[in-house]
Amino acid sequence: MRATAGITFCLLVLLASSPAMAHHAFAVEFDASKCSDIIGTLTKVAYENPHAYVFVNGKNPAGETVEMTFQLSSTSNLKRGGATFAALNGSVNKEVTVRGCLSRNGTDNRYAASFIKLADGTIQRVGQDVEGIFGTKLWR
Amino acid sequence: MKTCTGVILVLFCIAPVGAFAQEKPFVQARGSVVPVPLPPGGPAPRMSDGHVDLSGVWFPGPTGKANAWSVLPEQRAKEDPIPFQPWAEAKYKSFSRLDLELGSANVNCTPVGTPGMFTDNAYVHQIDTKPGQFIHLIENNNRWRVVHTDGRPHKKPDDLEPLFNGDETARWEGDTLVIDSISIDERTWIKDGWFHSDQLHVIERLRRPSLNYLEYQYTIEDPKVLTKPWTSAWATLSLGHEDLTENFCTRNENVDQLKKLADQQKETRP
Repeated sequence: MRATAGITFCLLVLLASSPAMAHHAFAVEFDASKCSDIIGTLTKVAYENPHAYVFVNGKNPAGETVEMTFQLSSTSNLKRGGATFAALNGSVNKEVTVRGCLSRNGTDNRYAASFIKLADGTIQRVGQDVEGIFGTKLWR
Repeated sequence: MKTCTGVILVLFCIAPVGAFAQEKPFVQARGSVVPVPLPPGGPAPRMSDGHVDLSGVWFPGPTGKANAWSVLPEQRAKEDPIPFQPWAEAKYKSFSRLDLELGSANVNCTPVGTPGMFTDNAYVHQIDTKPGQFIHLIENNNRWRVVHTDGRPHKKPDDLEPLFNGDETARWEGDTLVIDSISIDERTWIKDGWFHSDQLHVIERLRRPSLNYLEYQYTIEDPKVLTKPWTSAWATLSLGHEDLTENFCTRNENVDQLKKLADQQKETRP
């Protein structure tokens, strides 16, 4: 009886995950095989929909400082995950690290972001888990 | 024995995630969601006329909160194949993933229509029912519809006009609210590239089996596109305790980016 209840619970947990279509499919526009950590200064937060954006001045492979654009999820998902406007905006003019995957169409310095390490050290999820890097330890 | 069974169950539950954890770098970022289903919560409330009250803030899935960043992969319910007529099947299968993106209402920030408020919407719903009326708000681009639930007939054919949500009327069949829609604008999709004709007839069913759960099913009749009607599996939504947030589509960069990609693919095509 208890085993049956347990199996039912497991199945419910598995069925429970409806990670929801976002505004659109990530993989069409961005390349999950070209992701990297970008360190730079957060210059601006555009907290809008269907996607929010953050802009970071970071160094390109040639060592030049350029403005990089990171597409985040929607403000609905960001707020519910804790990445509020205030949380992101608090790191403007400070150093952040962003995990970003490059745009497929070759637009310079355009990425989709999966997480951002803010100036206070908080790591905040801001996009889809295209690399499968978010683990089993849950913060809540 | 009980302990052993428990351990096996826990391993079974976490196995897919564990496999990822071994192969990929691990990031413990705030925002990830563990999908724990809500309990039933007791009987569904009823309105003054005795019908089930469907009112509430409803999240897709069983957790009563947003699941966009669930740590477990999506499990889709089994459904029959769409019974397309041969010409429609060929057209549907000809769509590339990029075509689907560029034709999507959510990418273009255009109305999702009926049944798109349920089938093409990952965000939270607010439903308010009162005797004779069904009010449906979705967070996704602040869309809404209001439907009379007194079983009134559709408008006369000469009075119909194509509308994204269609000409809608609803009735109660026991504890199930049945919403009947016709005259739906042909620019909408049922979901994921499933186009339709001006003869589309959508029958949606909503029921609240317990306090914490809402269930949704829809039937598509489209004699110009399908060989027979098609009915979806029941989808589960669950009761949340958050307000809807403002969500206007004011900064859509994706259409231009995707068009640029489409142009590049045309140039490289032999």
